[in-house]
Amino acid sequence: MTIINDQRPPASGAAGLAGVAARDTVAPRSRRRYSADLSALGEPALWGFGGALALGIIMIAVFLMAVLYNGATTFWPKPIERVELTDGTVIAGVERRGTIYRPDMATLPEEVRAQVAADDGFAYRTLYQTANFDLYGDDFRWVADFEVADAANPADFYYFERQTWGVFVGRIAGMTIDGQEMAYDPAVLQREQRAARERFREIRNIERREIGGINHLIERERLNQRRAVLRQGEEAAAPVVAASQERIAELQAEFQELQARANEVRAVDRRYTVTLEEVGGRQITPEISQIVRYYPANTIGLLDKVGIYFARWWEFVSAEPREANTQGGVLPAIFGTVAMTLLMVVFVAPFGVITALYLREYARQGRVTSIVRISVNNLAGVPSIVYGVFGLGFFAYAMGGTIDQLFYPEALPNPTFGKGGILWASLTLALLTVPVVIVATEEALSAVPRSMREGSLACGASKWQTIRYVVLPKALPGIMTGMILAMARGAGEVAPLMLVGVVKLAPALPIDGFYPFIHLDRSFMHLGFHIFDVGFQSRNSEAGKPMVFVTTLLLLALIVAMNATAIIIRNRLKRKYATGQF
Amino acid sequence: MRMSLSLSVAVSVLALGAGMAKAQNIDPNLPVYEAVSGVSGNLTSIGSDTLNNLMTLWSEGFRTNYPNVAIQIQGAGSGTAPPALVEGTAQFGPMSRPMRGTEIEEFEARYGYEPLPMRGAIDALGVFVHRDNPVECLSMQEVDAIFSSTRAGGADEAITTWGQVGLTGEWADRPVAMYGRNSASGTYGYFREVALFGGDYSAEVREQPGSSTVIQGVAADIGGIGYSGVGYATADVKAIDIRGADGECYSPTAEDAGSGIYPIARFLYIYMNVDPNAELEPLRAEFVRYVYSQQGQQDVVRAGFFPLVNFIAEQDLAAFGLN
Repeated sequence: MTIINDQRPPASGAAGLAGVAARDTVAPRSRRRYSADLSALGEPALWGFGGALALGIIMIAVFLMAVLYNGATTFWPKPIERVELTDGTVIAGVERRGTIYRPDMATLPEEVRAQVAADDGFAYRTLYQTANFDLYGDDFRWVADFEVADAANPADFYYFERQTWGVFVGRIAGMTIDGQEMAYDPAVLQREQRAARERFREIRNIERREIGGINHLIERERLNQRRAVLRQGEEAAAPVVAASQERIAELQAEFQELQARANEVRAVDRRYTVTLEEVGGRQITPEISQIVRYYPANTIGLLDKVGIYFARWWEFVSAEPREANTQGGVLPAIFGTVAMTLLMVVFVAPFGVITALYLREYARQGRVTSIVRISVNNLAGVPSIVYGVFGLGFFAYAMGGTIDQLFYPEALPNPTFGKGGILWASLTLALLTVPVVIVATEEALSAVPRSMREGSLACGASKWQTIRYVVLPKALPGIMTGMILAMARGAGEVAPLMLVGVVKLAPALPIDGFYPFIHLDRSFMHLGFHIFDVGFQSRNSEAGKPMVFVTTLLLLALIVAMNATAIIIRNRLKRKYATGQF
Repeated sequence: MRMSLSLSVAVSVLALGAGMAKAQNIDPNLPVYEAVSGVSGNLTSIGSDTLNNLMTLWSEGFRTNYPNVAIQIQGAGSGTAPPALVEGTAQFGPMSRPMRGTEIEEFEARYGYEPLPMRGAIDALGVFVHRDNPVECLSMQEVDAIFSSTRAGGADEAITTWGQVGLTGEWADRPVAMYGRNSASGTYGYFREVALFGGDYSAEVREQPGSSTVIQGVAADIGGIGYSGVGYATADVKAIDIRGADGECYSPTAEDAGSGIYPIARFLYIYMNVDPNAELEPLRAEFVRYVYSQQGQQDVVRAGFFPLVNFIAEQDLAAFGLN
């Protein structure tokens, strides 16, 4: 180490300094070389750069750790505490967090005053998720330590996740299986809950898939009628309308049948209920199928906890949201984010690359190309919300409105393309990210050695052949880098999307089983917007907080995954090119 | 409008009794919703963010009856509803305040008739303070003196410290930090009209983009005070009572808000473009029916608002020609 350092010039960084220290002991004469001004050595600047880098890394690490910690622990089952307060009330709930605070001495009862005063006027309080919103009207409660008379973790308390109304915390008082009232039996309830969820899915399947399909056909017939009337006039369209009415009547009959089937299952479902009792003794009797998941929070073993943890994650990434997006899954949002980003790449890639190709390879370099370049660079600095406004005004209202009048007059005044939708959103984002692609592509093109072009031209290839077979392959990895940057920016962008098609709840995905299968006019959900919405717009922001972290974690993972895929593709291209060269 | 609200809900409250502490009862006279056939299509709702969650719950409930109905919901503030209705980009324009005259005129200029509102729920605005704040009750004049720069309510001076509303000890010198909504919000407009007596907000009010952001702001600021729908309350904040005209203090409960004694309560509206000469198409008609059903008003409670009574439901259904 010392030997190597000794051979280096002293100005080459921290290693050089170490070398100097080593040399100092041997030859004191060299001290003179460092009598120069400190700033001339570059060392303070180096420390500054290193420090800035370290600060940046630390900040990113802390941010990632916070998201990871909060996101990863959200789904872990936590115990239920039953707390008796000194004023006689009893609450049961899951501990969420706690803080130290200064209680107002004047309002404290005589006996705790001394106790709080002994702690310099500070006390500790805990936030409990008491749940049971339908009975209490709220779901959280602060309890100060001095209020607690007794706390325990009773074994018979369960944590229920319900289809509606959110979480319930309480005991199981009894159950009704196939109309027969009986005492609670864990094995029976477990079996029946699975069966009930199966029934629930069956009802949903009939309603969504089968009835949904019929409704879709009826709607199409209705639009067909209107189109015929609009095009041919009331009288000429009469036969079309009559035929269509007949078809609708047929579909209606089919619908009745399906409806009856769903109602049958529902009737069965109502015979299976469970009676739940909250800590104060009030009872509710929901159908078993309403219980998405339940577990005895205080007696559950580690293995079951792990099972619940992963089951919740699976539900989160594979299910639809419920309770106004604060529970359930985010599948539509994941789908929307990915579909919108990919669609954006489809638009931005050809436009960006073609523009850069022309600018770099064909256009005469001069004042005009400089102005174009400066404009493109400036475009990258325009606030994204401006693109959103442009997208809404130009794409949705102007273009979409015209498309509606020309091609979808039968649906008016309901707009088809004349509102925000996934097509307009990805076009807006493509506009937003096209400067990134242009700049990166130009850089990549200019990095292709002149000798290669000249070699190709000398062999008799035309200009286009040179670009197609020599320049573009060599530049592809660089172009891909631009694409990755554009994708990262596009997937994380939310502000303009709120104007051009992102919605809180878009029940239908942009791709489904109904003709024409890909519905570019549909609004969609987006993970970024989901975070904003759940965090800042939901009724109970306390309950929404964990979801914010989980969704953030998921969005980060999604962007990393998309970028990683692009990087892998880029590396493959690089390798392919490297072997092709020789 | 306020009159009819007070009257009808007072009747309902008497009839239902004040059973549970906070949990709401639903008028048993409201019909139970039953699905009909042939309802399908796309609907878009653009407007109030206060109503965002409620619209979502309604559409979730509506979709259990009509699986292939797609309802898209955007909520950026009540001010975004009228232009969306005029442009035809939305079929529903949820608003947390009635439309202004100019907005109605603009709509009328395009279509020749006025937009039709339905009253979907009752919302009380709570004035929230930090949970450790000992203040119990403020008069409307005091609220005005805190939030406004004009003090149209008649207060002599602006309230800037908590000592000015009678708090003592360490609270006496603690500054009042105001949190409010952004100007596109209907809550902003309504609060200005009622609590500020039509005056102007002080420039010190920190404008927040959402109802629960106001709550979060107040929760994190010991001297904070803010207004938001009572449904957004968390355990971190406390809704204070408001002193009515009779000098008594009233809490934002279903009874007091409904009877109009609690002064900052309002209807939540959903505006629609309904041609008076044509029948309402089944899709929207069924949605209106759903809102005024047992299930629809259950959703209202789930969203943290106060449910309507049958009396109002019948009035509005008649206005839509759906009896």
